[in-house]
Amino acid sequence: MSLVDLVRLAFSRLRTGRLRAALTMLGVIIGVASVVALVGVGQGTTSNITERLSSLGTNLLTISAAGAAGGAESTLTLGDAEALAGLDGIAGVAPESQAQAVVAADGETTTTSIIGTTEDYAAVRAFDVWQGTFLTDVAVERNLRVAVLGATTADDLGLDESSLGTEITIGGLPFKLIGILQPKGGATFADPDDQVMVPIGVVHKYLTGGDGVRTIGVSVAEQDQMTAVQSGITTLLRARHDLAAADDDDFSIFDQAQLLETASSISGTLTLLLGGIASISLVVGGIGIMNIMLVSVRERTREIGIRKAVGARGRDILLQFLIEALTLSGLGGILGVAVGLGVSALIARIGGISFAFSPTTLAVALLFSLAVGIVFGVWPARQAARLDPITALRYE
Amino acid sequence: MDTPIISLRGIGRTYDMGTVAVEALRSVDLDVAPGEFVAIIGPSGSGKSTLMHIIGCLDRPTAGTYRLAGAPVEDLDDDGLARVRSRTIGFVFQSYNLLPRTSALDNVVAPLLYQGVKRSDRVRRARAALERLGLADRMGHEPSELSGGQQQRVAVARALVSDPALILADEPTGNLDQASGHDVLEVFRELNRSGRTIVLITHDQEVAEAATRQVHIRDGRLVA
Repeated sequence: MSLVDLVRLAFSRLRTGRLRAALTMLGVIIGVASVVALVGVGQGTTSNITERLSSLGTNLLTISAAGAAGGAESTLTLGDAEALAGLDGIAGVAPESQAQAVVAADGETTTTSIIGTTEDYAAVRAFDVWQGTFLTDVAVERNLRVAVLGATTADDLGLDESSLGTEITIGGLPFKLIGILQPKGGATFADPDDQVMVPIGVVHKYLTGGDGVRTIGVSVAEQDQMTAVQSGITTLLRARHDLAAADDDDFSIFDQAQLLETASSISGTLTLLLGGIASISLVVGGIGIMNIMLVSVRERTREIGIRKAVGARGRDILLQFLIEALTLSGLGGILGVAVGLGVSALIARIGGISFAFSPTTLAVALLFSLAVGIVFGVWPARQAARLDPITALRYE
Repeated sequence: MDTPIISLRGIGRTYDMGTVAVEALRSVDLDVAPGEFVAIIGPSGSGKSTLMHIIGCLDRPTAGTYRLAGAPVEDLDDDGLARVRSRTIGFVFQSYNLLPRTSALDNVVAPLLYQGVKRSDRVRRARAALERLGLADRMGHEPSELSGGQQQRVAVARALVSDPALILADEPTGNLDQASGHDVLEVFRELNRSGRTIVLITHDQEVAEAATRQVHIRDGRLVA
């Protein structure tokens, strides 16, 4: 019996029992769909994180105060930032203090992050100015109440190039709008375009009430100096903070590249884990197929007897039942891929999570579902093939 | 005389029922020549079903030799027996044994499927067989949509379609009313007139009258 004949036979069989076939396939459909959706979302998140982090700035070291979240009790100071600027191999230093505040302009309001920083911030964090100027050294030095808006914030407030020079209020205080940044994009977590930048002294004076610095962004001139600069920073800060040799650092330094690596490896592991959990449901789907095929062999004992009487060999019967199981699992796999892609698209749309469409995942999911068909189809098929024709013909 | 289609020599079949061995057949000798229409008659328990299974290559004898169309078959393995059934024997059963939820045409096609006949040839031959049995207008019907007589004629078409050397009918009229039964026997007689070899197994003397030769079986032995 040719493969075409076997597949045709399997399909005609599935047509006569549509509901049962559909329910049996459901297990595989759900299994494959969850593998596709979860792995897709996982991979999407991974590439999103990678993209996001690389858009934060290259050769960037971020120094954070240990323990405290920022504000008055922070261990980092503006003095630290100034001292760091004198180190070799450093292209820019931008201390940052952060607060949440209501920003209002022309009747529109939004609550967002207010970043108090210096003129180096744009270069260190890889922002480009779209309209106007960034904070100037004069503005920072004199603590002028001027503000630069991120693209999203400007959009939320309905501000554009014509609004430059107008007054906005931050936490009720009037500020002059001097610039709007280019959007960076990427919105998985904390949108980098949704923030307002003002001179750091202004934040300290009006919003946080202290001169603590939450983080210091340092951009390193050359990629290969990252490690050297990092240890230079550590030595300098330990000396400035009067730490004894036995004391732990009261700050931590994040290497952007390292963070990138860690983040993508964590999310890669997560993806694998999600895929693994999803494959369990695929295996359960396979057991469903085996169950139905065993029932089917029992119910069709007489048919098997008839087929043997008219000349079917054991192998013909084995293949017939195996192809039937494969058709169920393969069809379930194809439908599962379709459902999985649909669900991923839905998750991406509703949850704002991007998902990666990976042909490899689809191929693996399909092959896996076929493998499930073979593994769980073989045993029932062997049962069928081994039936004695006389007994099978007498079976009622 | 030509080489017999069936040549049984000293055929015995013993069923091992644990502690007791049941002898269903004891040294059966039988020759059936090409073109014969033989009825094997016996009451239930006489061993006629066992004999049918052995002649039909559904079972193997425990003693003796069996040559079917000149070739020894008693030592063939399961696949070998399946091949012989596929090429040489057409079955007609008491309970029709058609594939359920399968059209008459596909039922008749089934034996050709296992012979590896091309699809277009399969359909052509199955149609021809059904037409020959007057079922041209019933080809798309499933067994449940056919009367008993029609179902049995589909079964006869299925037995004929592979052009076997031997047609083996096991109580083919057992489930039919008298008129349909008579029709089916008439079909056999006509097939026999056109040269088919037919072995008919029955308990009914009247049915056996349709055959050209009658063989009686009692307690696992052939009696004159």
